[in-house]
Amino acid sequence: MTGAYTIGAVCAPAAVVAFELTTLRTGILRRGRFWVTIAITLAFQVPVDGWLTKLSAPIVLYRPAAISGARWPWDIPVEDFGFAFAMITLTLALWERVRSVSKPKRRVGIWSDQRGACDERGGKTPAAGAPEASGETLP
Amino acid sequence: MDAWQYLLVLAACVAVTLPLEIAGGARVYRRPKALLATLAPVLAVFAGWDLAAVHHGEWWFSPRYTLGLRIAGLPVEEWLFFLVVPVCALLTYEVLGRGAGRWSRAARRAPR
Repeated sequence: MTGAYTIGAVCAPAAVVAFELTTLRTGILRRGRFWVTIAITLAFQVPVDGWLTKLSAPIVLYRPAAISGARWPWDIPVEDFGFAFAMITLTLALWERVRSVSKPKRRVGIWSDQRGACDERGGKTPAAGAPEASGETLP
Repeated sequence: MDAWQYLLVLAACVAVTLPLEIAGGARVYRRPKALLATLAPVLAVFAGWDLAAVHHGEWWFSPRYTLGLRIAGLPVEEWLFFLVVPVCALLTYEVLGRGAGRWSRAARRAPR
């Protein structure tokens, strides 16, 4: 029931979420766009991971004791979704962080043709009134 | 041909998401520095997890469906997985971010 991968697949998403909330603080978890990305990515994970883990001809094989044994959909170990959520969330949060750090340069006007600067600021405006959001874009 | 399976799965992921950069307005590949700064820590953490798990025998990879090229004990396909999958997610995220500002701001810039 509680294989090493099972434990990892529960702890990793929690650790990444904690890292975002305490350290990166991009506010990404409050954005609908993040959750839609997660939904789309996990949906595409089904055919891809399903192919990799299908028990009839597996590309990735798991030691039975390392996993819970719950496989859904198809033969995908449910743990894989925890791994994927953690990896994608860390990726998107770091991307937001990296982009917000490089943004002030663009505001000066050197890169005024970069549409990202305006789009990102526009996107954040509605949240500017939220108490914790105000400080977040200014590292 | 079986040995190419894992690599072909990854190639399919790249092929399916590439139009998001080319025609969908996402700028991910075109921000190589930001991309590298994002992928490096992700690779370190999750390939690290992968390496440890393989070392402990929690999972392993079929010799039949991988090319057999290994780096530090992981098939080269598995290393590529940690680059391909995050990029797919970033392309999706960036395309979704284009929606709101697209007509108001991009249209204003159109005369350029």
